[in-house]
Amino acid sequence: MRSLAAALWLLLLLPAPSVVAVKEQDFKKCHESSFCRRGRALADRATEHVKSGEKWKSPYSLDASTIVLEDGGSRFTGRVRSSLYPEIKFELDVRVHEDGVVRVRMDEKEGLRKRYDEAASWALLKEPVLSPSSKWSVGKKEVKVVYGAKKDQVEVTVEFEPLVVRMKRNGKDQVVLNGQGLLHMEHFKKKVEKVEAEVPVVEGEETQKVVQLPPNSWFEGVTEDGWWEETWKTWTDTKPKGPESLSLDINFPNHGHVYGIPQHATHLDLPTTKGEGASFNDPYRLYNGDIFEYPASSSSLSLYGSIPIIHAHSADSTVAVFVAVASETWVDVAHPTQKSTETHWISESGILDIFLLPGPTPDQVFGQYARLTGAVQLPPHWSLAYHQCRWNYVSSDDIRGVQKRFDEEDIPVDVFWLDIEYSEEHKYMIWEKKYFPDPIDMLNDVAALARKMVIIVDPHIKRTVDYPVYKEGQELDLFVKNKQGNEFEGWCWSGSSAWIDFFNPNSWEWYKQLYKFNGREDGKWSWTESTSTVHIWNDMNEPAIFNGPEITMEKDSIHYGGWEHRDVHNINGMLFANTTSQAVKERTTPYNRPFVLTRSYYAGAQRFAAMWTGDNMGTWEHMAVGIPMVLSNSISGMSFTGADVGGFFGNPEPEMLTRWYFVGAFSPFFRAHAHIDTKRREPYLLAEPYKSIVREIIRLRYSLLPVWYTAFRESSVTGLPVTRPQYVVLPKNEAGFSIDDQYYVGASGLLVKPITEAGITETTVHIGEDQVYYDFYTGHAYRGSVKGKSVTVPAPLERGPLLIRGGSILPSRDRPRRSSALMKRDPFTLKVALSQSGNASGELYLDDGESYDHREGNFIWREFVAESTKKTVTISSKDLASRNPDSAVDGVELAIYNGGNAFANALDGVRVERIVVLGLKNKPTKVTLGKAHLEFTFKDGMAAAGNKEGVASKLTVKNPGAFITSDWSIVLEL
Amino acid sequence: MLLLPVLLSLSVPVPAQASPSPEVKGVHPSLCPKYVPASSDRWFCLDGSRSIPWSAVNDDYCDCPDGSDEPGTGACSNSTFFCPNIGHVGASISATRVNDGLCEPECCDGSDEPSGVCPNICDQVGIEYRALLEQETKLRKTGSKIRASYISFAQKEKARLEAAVTSTKREVTARADELVRIKEIVDRTESLSSAALERKKLSPLFKSLESHSELLAALLALHKDRGQRLDTLEDILSSLRSGYNPNYQDMAVLEAVRGWEQVAGLPHINDVKKDEDESGEGSLPFDVQDDISSEETERQAESILNTDYLSLLMEHDEYAESPQASSTGLNFASYLPNSLTPAFNYIRSFTSAILGENSPPNDSAKVSRLGQSLSDAEARLREAEERLRNVQQELEDLYNPGVFGKHGEWKKLDRLCLEKDTGDYTYEVCLFGEARQKANSGGSVHSLGHFSSWRYDEEPGTPDYYSRQAFVGGAKCWNGPQRSVQVDLSCGLENELLTVAEPEKCEYLITGTTPALCTPLESEGNTKDEL
Repeated sequence: MRSLAAALWLLLLLPAPSVVAVKEQDFKKCHESSFCRRGRALADRATEHVKSGEKWKSPYSLDASTIVLEDGGSRFTGRVRSSLYPEIKFELDVRVHEDGVVRVRMDEKEGLRKRYDEAASWALLKEPVLSPSSKWSVGKKEVKVVYGAKKDQVEVTVEFEPLVVRMKRNGKDQVVLNGQGLLHMEHFKKKVEKVEAEVPVVEGEETQKVVQLPPNSWFEGVTEDGWWEETWKTWTDTKPKGPESLSLDINFPNHGHVYGIPQHATHLDLPTTKGEGASFNDPYRLYNGDIFEYPASSSSLSLYGSIPIIHAHSADSTVAVFVAVASETWVDVAHPTQKSTETHWISESGILDIFLLPGPTPDQVFGQYARLTGAVQLPPHWSLAYHQCRWNYVSSDDIRGVQKRFDEEDIPVDVFWLDIEYSEEHKYMIWEKKYFPDPIDMLNDVAALARKMVIIVDPHIKRTVDYPVYKEGQELDLFVKNKQGNEFEGWCWSGSSAWIDFFNPNSWEWYKQLYKFNGREDGKWSWTESTSTVHIWNDMNEPAIFNGPEITMEKDSIHYGGWEHRDVHNINGMLFANTTSQAVKERTTPYNRPFVLTRSYYAGAQRFAAMWTGDNMGTWEHMAVGIPMVLSNSISGMSFTGADVGGFFGNPEPEMLTRWYFVGAFSPFFRAHAHIDTKRREPYLLAEPYKSIVREIIRLRYSLLPVWYTAFRESSVTGLPVTRPQYVVLPKNEAGFSIDDQYYVGASGLLVKPITEAGITETTVHIGEDQVYYDFYTGHAYRGSVKGKSVTVPAPLERGPLLIRGGSILPSRDRPRRSSALMKRDPFTLKVALSQSGNASGELYLDDGESYDHREGNFIWREFVAESTKKTVTISSKDLASRNPDSAVDGVELAIYNGGNAFANALDGVRVERIVVLGLKNKPTKVTLGKAHLEFTFKDGMAAAGNKEGVASKLTVKNPGAFITSDWSIVLEL
Repeated sequence: MLLLPVLLSLSVPVPAQASPSPEVKGVHPSLCPKYVPASSDRWFCLDGSRSIPWSAVNDDYCDCPDGSDEPGTGACSNSTFFCPNIGHVGASISATRVNDGLCEPECCDGSDEPSGVCPNICDQVGIEYRALLEQETKLRKTGSKIRASYISFAQKEKARLEAAVTSTKREVTARADELVRIKEIVDRTESLSSAALERKKLSPLFKSLESHSELLAALLALHKDRGQRLDTLEDILSSLRSGYNPNYQDMAVLEAVRGWEQVAGLPHINDVKKDEDESGEGSLPFDVQDDISSEETERQAESILNTDYLSLLMEHDEYAESPQASSTGLNFASYLPNSLTPAFNYIRSFTSAILGENSPPNDSAKVSRLGQSLSDAEARLREAEERLRNVQQELEDLYNPGVFGKHGEWKKLDRLCLEKDTGDYTYEVCLFGEARQKANSGGSVHSLGHFSSWRYDEEPGTPDYYSRQAFVGGAKCWNGPQRSVQVDLSCGLENELLTVAEPEKCEYLITGTTPALCTPLESEGNTKDEL
């Protein structure tokens, strides 16, 4: 969220006006982390072996005699041996899920200690259902399972010696585990006090010494590098469990592009970290951290959240691998050839627990991943509107003043945010009454315009007994412990602080009680000075600890169940947001959809929270890198994502801020935020023409809210991302695989390419198919090609570039209002962008936007279709819900859908006020709905079919008399 | 009373009783004549851009580019909606507020929403409004009486200042004459002894003395400069350390704090409770002693530098030639205020003659005395001139719309200091002077800036122009800009500050009231007549 430290640097260290960037030395490089060093050294030894012509063979093998088929044959277990440590027992457990996902688990059995094996349990939606039909068969050299359609078969083999797991489709390798022999699970050992081998060295002596190398050194190396203790800067990690790291190579021999493993400030198509011409020296790091002012110039540095899923893509197929590990993890990426990818995963602790997602299309991969970790929850409708934030709005009157200014300028806004300074001494939920003397009145004043407030609640709990949250947490013994077993103490905004251990199940119910604004049954403290319109922002939950190593918690701190922080670090932040989300949901009866914004996250967080990309800076580079970051998170499950508009640090010039509003208006999460040291920059403060341009951009977002909400419905059911990069929408268009500066909004057909540079008047957009695309504003028709074509489109500050894919129908509400809830009964405009073949379709999903009534069938989900014949174009509205009740809404499979539900009835009389059709070949002779002749205007222009570019023809049908909840059909006679 | 201007600005100057019942919903009465169909039931958009069927007016579909065809529906976002508010005052609202499900406070008749949604509360609102208006009128009336007293104060000031200008002008003339007279004497004496002095100045002893003095001056300047830098750095480090929320997010900050604590002999801030720490602040153990001894040394060095070497040189003759002679040489410079010393030295270097009559015991004393007379006379003239300029400026400012207003109504408030205690700090605003922030505990005081201007975005002389005073160039924030204040004022019976806020770091917003802004309502257009 912010950093005072940044300001200090400016003063103390910067005589020159250079750009302040992250203090990279405050965060570890691979070579400063012993397990990463060991993992990379292992890979280097393997490479050296192969280079020098020696054979490198993994010491791990599966003992065929121990294989046991379980669960009707869809699962087997067996003992894995390491030739290095034959006495150590490892167990392999491989399962096929009903949707073809394969889970591979390996753990040390009967060891000195237990490895952390609960990461998946936090990430997974539920225990996956095993395949009823797929059966493993044990052969001479391998265990094998084959499933899928005859012409599109998946074969998974687990080879005995060495142990290799291979997923093939139609005979072609998709994913290979341990193909390079880098699998290594360091088993638990007893510390042996070593006597230094005295090898006298005589200077100048020529004779070569024969040093007896340990027998395993070919694989493990000669030193016990950082096994038992590790010091970095002033912190010493005591490592009472000793070395327990995990190394595994995951290869995609037939995929030349990999995406995912967020969060990193880099391209969507992950640049390499190994091999010739590698972009980065260090592997991608997954270790949630508060990396303020992170570099935007592309880096493998870890950021606030981690999702260990990697997608591999080629024109033939898409697959993905989800690695359920919660400890610090480093991932090397290399492309030995343009068409293949090798990755090497190095984790500090935990079992091996890997999910192979067979695809073979991007959409199927998303579905497979959503069945594992859940899809994004359908957000409250208002949370897709515009959010106004600043560190800090300083008083309740400040909030009222900001609201007044927005309304005076007629700029829509739905949510005002309060950062940490609302709280007394940063005791969150306790108002600083000097500046917020009347919080309930303030909340109600905001709610009077159908708006909400989002208020920050951070995880650091000020250690003072006059803070009920601390006092009760201490009494209930719910805080994380330090390595001595006492309450962990660290420093954050609130000074000396403690952290609630959300791994402790006892914390959950208690924490939820704190949000009961009507009071608790047991009469203890709860946040009674809040209302149902308050939603929550969880920041600093990596956790950020100012005096900790890498600004986070010591790894030898202890969580519930005795697990070390090292084992659970990357999950820690997510549990805070998950619990908050449930607390906000359950504070009312009946429940309402919660909105929680989190900075830290892990796989599965999408079920509970939205996230943003943290403390970015007000520079063009940061604006630009925010786009691939949003895309990378989106394809990794976190669809409800955005970057702070304007940049958190700095004072963006008006042109930059204006462009950034466009980026924000086309991000799933649209919030402007600013650091306490910045000038105020609410949109109404901009000078003309910027103010009017930004007003129109925000209004455009509001007008397209039906598109966004409909996209979220789809995402919440199918797992498809809301913002879709080129490769997802057009998976066979190779020229689009590395494009990450343009993307589609859901399935709407909107293609956006935000401008992220100064002084731009036009840009090129890649159209990756043989289709017509229309300029959203001007209706200019552009033509793509099968191989993909770059077209030059105008990009003035006022608009775009924004295109509509031919074949789409966009529902919008074009009457600007002060907040989104005030648009409830506004009429719709349907924009029909005809495809080259003269057809189009689109969807609209609507519900009350706040409750869970949609899960009881209270919603509408409709389809608009345009179909052409020689003489007519028919545009019709059809119900989708009754045809697909089981896949209509998130979280429930409805058996039937009743079109006369309460919500649909409430929309009675809400009409389509306008239908715009782009690309008709000529002016219709008449337009009818039933017997009624409709009024229309027509502007001549390009037809959808053909090769010509130019402004497309435009038909506008006025007040067609069609209602949004009804079936109807309009015929254009040509 | 603060609400009223808002109401006034939203209300439209049309008598509610007179508004015809509009045939076309939402049309402002002044435009009613234009909302009639032209021939063949067609109608022209008000901007003339299009002709549409009369039936398309208010059909909840926007046809006209200027939005004029939908005055009553909200279909055109660029139009306005008029609510007659019978019983109260008619008002226009943006079309974006029409049919949005909210009852607009501006439309007490509820006409902005479909019938049945919003109740007509105009009777009640009208009563409240009129009561409020009456209250405001009373306030203005009383306030304007006070304001009138400010204006008459300005008139008295004018008389006083004019008299002062006349008398000061006279004084300047007299001082100038006096200076001419003394200068003549000095010029005469100068030629007599300059040669003798020049010779004495060649003495090696004097040369050495001069170079010592120069070196000492240089060292002292260097010392002071270092001292200031040290103070600044200590301030920065102390602020860093005691910043209420020590942020060790960046380890180098922690190291800097720890280093400073070690040097300053302070306990680590993490180990000290906040209140304990505050009590100890400002009495850092080591630099207090240091300060005392260094201040003394500085004083000594300065007094040595102030030694009048030329006088000593001349006096030296007495000792060299006649040990019994009494020493009457005086170091006049040491009796002069520092600001005059350079002028004094300058004059003296040219004045080395002895005045013939009065025959003082030796040359040097005479020269010195003469020198002092000359510099005194010059100083007196400068002072008088300065005073004249000030008085003239004051007179000029008195009725300058850019300063005290065209009636001089603000003169009374010149340097009037107002205070507001916010708990941690007391804020003091001296109108036309300085604004300051005083810590209620610990006693530190920061300048928030000096008065720089009235509201720059308004024309001088307009009422809004005087609604804001800007103070700039205050003490620099250690991690931010120079402090500044915007003081927003409105009409009130008291000169007082109401609220203090810091919307941006080190940029304060203070609100307050003053009778100087209470113009009688009648003078602000014709609003009153309409009611």
